[in-house]
Amino acid sequence: MTTATTSARANVKPTPTYETIAWKWMRYSGVLLIPLVWIHVLIQDVLVGVHAIDLNYVVERWANIGWQIYDILLLAFTFAHGMNGLRQVAFDFFQTDKARRNLSWILFIGWLVISFIGAAAILGAAAKHLA
Amino acid sequence: MDVTLRVFRYNTEAGRTKPSFDSWTLTDVDPTDRVLDLLEFVKGYHDGTLSFRRSCAHGVCGSDAMRINGRNYLACKVLVRDLNSTTITVEPIMGLKVVKDLIVDMEPFFESYRSVLPYMINDDVPADGKERHQSIEQRERFDDTTKCILCAACTSSCPSFWGDGKYVGPATIVNAHRFIFDSRDQAPGERLQILNEQEGVWRCRTAFNCTEACPREIHITQAIAEVKHAITSGNVD
Repeated sequence: MTTATTSARANVKPTPTYETIAWKWMRYSGVLLIPLVWIHVLIQDVLVGVHAIDLNYVVERWANIGWQIYDILLLAFTFAHGMNGLRQVAFDFFQTDKARRNLSWILFIGWLVISFIGAAAILGAAAKHLA
Repeated sequence: MDVTLRVFRYNTEAGRTKPSFDSWTLTDVDPTDRVLDLLEFVKGYHDGTLSFRRSCAHGVCGSDAMRINGRNYLACKVLVRDLNSTTITVEPIMGLKVVKDLIVDMEPFFESYRSVLPYMINDDVPADGKERHQSIEQRERFDDTTKCILCAACTSSCPSFWGDGKYVGPATIVNAHRFIFDSRDQAPGERLQILNEQEGVWRCRTAFNCTEACPREIHITQAIAEVKHAITSGNVD
């Protein structure tokens, strides 16, 4: 029996839109968050314990470049994942293109500012410790 | 058994300009009676102005999707005993404008359905001049989504659709799936392009309400996921 697939079905991938990228971002950041969050919880809450965490512990931790990068990534990815989810939910209440575009920019700028402040705090604390 | 039937009423022609509920206590109801039977009884013996859609009454035409005790069903398929309650509340499906009693305006639903080109597109002459052959596997690829009867039980149970009436909704995606994965069709790219827009598949939050509501037991959330995957991969095999 002939079961050939025509060439019109061979390459049908649409040009990615902003929504395609945002959806993929949700999946990729979600997968990345699994190790980032669980390692964080394991160390802070189980191995070290919340009662043993004080200023000295934080300073020692952030003196290490690896932990600086880790915590900045944890903040940036978690917050971006959450902001993208919030954007999806908020779209139910903002239904015009203009309102959605403005909302997306506000959330993006919010994410950028908070991530920058967090990164500055982590790197600043380490710089102060080294000085 | 006795059953209290509560029905949503809104009928401007009968002077009922505000939504409200009417109740009837029905006696000698058989547990195997369908909710449609109860509605027909009320319309025939108590209130002839009660309005609802029905046609085949056998779960095929998809006319009588309703919200029964908070869940979407076809009134002609759900039995009284399946509801596990002696009080049955019947409301119109949600997310579509109520026209009269249990009748909603289905036009936005069908407009969305038409947007994804729900018909075979292939202008080539078949190899033997007569038929476009398909293997069992190729036919099976989209078998599940051929079962849709366009009752709107899925779309009107979708929280994304309630929040954003411009979202194409699960029924539209199911019917696009039926042709996107049909090896004989030559326009899967056009449909994927349409569903890749802002009000397309990306508005789906994977709530699974649609799958639960479908009277044909179509795996709707899975079909939507397959369309999402086809958009990101370009693979429609």
